[in-house]
Amino acid sequence: MTGARLVRLYAVGRRVPFAVLAMAACAAGLRIALLGHWDAYGALQLPLVFEAAAAVSVVATVASPFGEPERVAGGWLPYLRLAVTVALTAAAIGLLAAASTGANLSGGSLDVLRNVAGITGIGLLCAAALGGGLSWTGPTGYLVAGVYALYTQWHPPALTTPWLWPARPPHDLGGAICAGLVFACGAAFVTVRGARDRPGDPAAG
Amino acid sequence: MTAATRVPAASRPRLVGRRPGLALLRLLRLELRHNAMPWVLPIAIGLFWLTTYRKGVAMPPLWNLRAAGLQLGAQLDFAVPVTGAAAWMGSREARRRVTDQVTVTVQPRWARLLAPWAATTIWAMLAYLGCTAVLYGVTAHQASWGGPLWWPAAVAAASLPAFSALGFVLGTFLPGRFTAPLAAIAAFFVLTLSTELIHGSQSYWNVSPIVTGPWDLGPQAGVATFYPFLPDLPIAQVMFLVGLTVALLGTLALPAGSGGRALRMVAAGLTGAGLLAAGTAVGLAGTGTMDAHGMIAIPALHDAASDQPLQFTPTCSHTAIPVCLNPAYAGYLSVTATALAPLLSQVAGLPGAPTRIVQDAMIYQQDAGDEVSIRPRSPGDILSSPVSHLVLPDQTQGQTMTAGQLASTVITTYGLQLVARVTGDGPGASQAQHAVAAALLRAAGGDEVIVTQPTSGPCRGPASAPSTRRSGPGRECASQSVGAARGTPAAAAAERFDALSAPVRHAWLVRHLAALRAGLVTLAELP
Repeated sequence: MTGARLVRLYAVGRRVPFAVLAMAACAAGLRIALLGHWDAYGALQLPLVFEAAAAVSVVATVASPFGEPERVAGGWLPYLRLAVTVALTAAAIGLLAAASTGANLSGGSLDVLRNVAGITGIGLLCAAALGGGLSWTGPTGYLVAGVYALYTQWHPPALTTPWLWPARPPHDLGGAICAGLVFACGAAFVTVRGARDRPGDPAAG
Repeated sequence: MTAATRVPAASRPRLVGRRPGLALLRLLRLELRHNAMPWVLPIAIGLFWLTTYRKGVAMPPLWNLRAAGLQLGAQLDFAVPVTGAAAWMGSREARRRVTDQVTVTVQPRWARLLAPWAATTIWAMLAYLGCTAVLYGVTAHQASWGGPLWWPAAVAAASLPAFSALGFVLGTFLPGRFTAPLAAIAAFFVLTLSTELIHGSQSYWNVSPIVTGPWDLGPQAGVATFYPFLPDLPIAQVMFLVGLTVALLGTLALPAGSGGRALRMVAAGLTGAGLLAAGTAVGLAGTGTMDAHGMIAIPALHDAASDQPLQFTPTCSHTAIPVCLNPAYAGYLSVTATALAPLLSQVAGLPGAPTRIVQDAMIYQQDAGDEVSIRPRSPGDILSSPVSHLVLPDQTQGQTMTAGQLASTVITTYGLQLVARVTGDGPGASQAQHAVAAALLRAAGGDEVIVTQPTSGPCRGPASAPSTRRSGPGRECASQSVGAARGTPAAAAAERFDALSAPVRHAWLVRHLAALRAGLVTLAELP
């Protein structure tokens, strides 16, 4: 009972319900986008925009509204951080994959899995380095780089590095390993240390 | 705190000291020091390097290409970080729960909010100007002719305050941890989506600041080198961005408590004026169409003087027949002249051969659907004219070519055109004409030279240069044979003729070219 209450308070404190709402909106947006007839630019690049939006919604929950006191007092905090982050990432992937069911999503669900996990990982690393408030900078910057990498697939010279995994085919092992590695590192950092939220930082605004 | 909220001191501002301007400057300095934008700038600069600078310097050093790449790329690179950082700064008061405390400060709320917006914009602008200076500096070092195009750079610069204002307003009115990331992604989404809605050259969506010209055409090396750059669309885009910025900033002062009644009235007026300017710009952009020189012309903003060709002294090669290019393409001269030199030495002085080869401008035309056709300004060479018109492959292709690709394409396009002009080869020509044409082509460029040349445009003679469409190399006109197909008697005769030394071939052509062109020479009579 206490455990459930703790999870509920943690989720409310991190605005998890709003994050789920935002992810659902992203899934709805993707579904609507897939109804349209796009050229190559739209068909390849628009899904990545929704995937990135879902990923930043996950990452935005990492910021702690309490800071140091919670870190000192909360023994279960690392487990909560890991569980909520993984659960939200899975929910984002599930919602986007469900939204694309029966539609012609470029790359399919494997692409969604790789891209959302990888971009979330970037955000988690940014949260650990810059703080929860600025954790969105990495994923949004990566979105632009990913869209450009996709663009270079038909406007050579192509960017083929697996670190720009959105431009790799869905079954590409290199891209999957890079995205998985980034997610694992991000999740590990955030689990152990949490977001770097220090009120005195200029980045904290 | 509650009392302060009930009686907002900001509605009756009282300036400390005698120099309110100095106080605002101090406020701005403080905001510059405590702004989030410097933390985000490395991302913007990194993106600029990855997507704009690397791509730009890989293009030929033509100002039009580099400037268009800057306008498009810099905005996509900066829009996301600037919008996000501004939203983050806009939500600061609510995020830190200090709204009540700052309400009692002497500055009106509007002035207080404009300071972090200005600080965010200044940081972004400094980074953008630095990036532009590097790209334009490199281009100035590499370009052989022309000067910087400032209008595209101005559009990108004007977009920064607009994105900053958009993010700031969203952050102020919808504060929260999700605002900054979602605002940043929404700005990017709107930018990319705006171009998806453009069909044809006439569209209201052309006002989107990342549109640098007819969207279906894409970046073209042949634009704004023979004719001046048209600032019509950039003017409308700057007008739209400035109007949008003013309108957005005006909305900050509209809520009650943002300032005195007079201040709010001014803000409402500014918002209305901004919306009017932005709406007018959208209307103007909707009247624009692609002109014959590949740029968007807006009648209400158009200066007829811009339709006059640019004056320049061409840069020429020292080949047997001089090849003269627009000085902007001087970098292409060596490759082009080297590729054509063997052929030019064969045909120089022959009847029908030109005495000068001059680069031609392109004419652009919007076709049905999203397609654009491109053809040379001169419809074709006239046999009696001493001047022949050459179109460089980069003028018609969307992609930049390597030196090897360029040389090969020059031979297979202009080389064929020149051989056909001299020998009279083409549909209905004699077998001997086919054989001589094939031999000349082999001597000029090797065995891989194609012998069937699809042409387009008027199709009145062999001189028509190829036309292209953005969506592919589709050409409109029926194919036209030049040379001899492999395995035919004409090909065997061509091999025999090709085996002769160059002076012997040339001497035979001088004596027999008129008869050859008249169809009076048979294959057996070829040496």
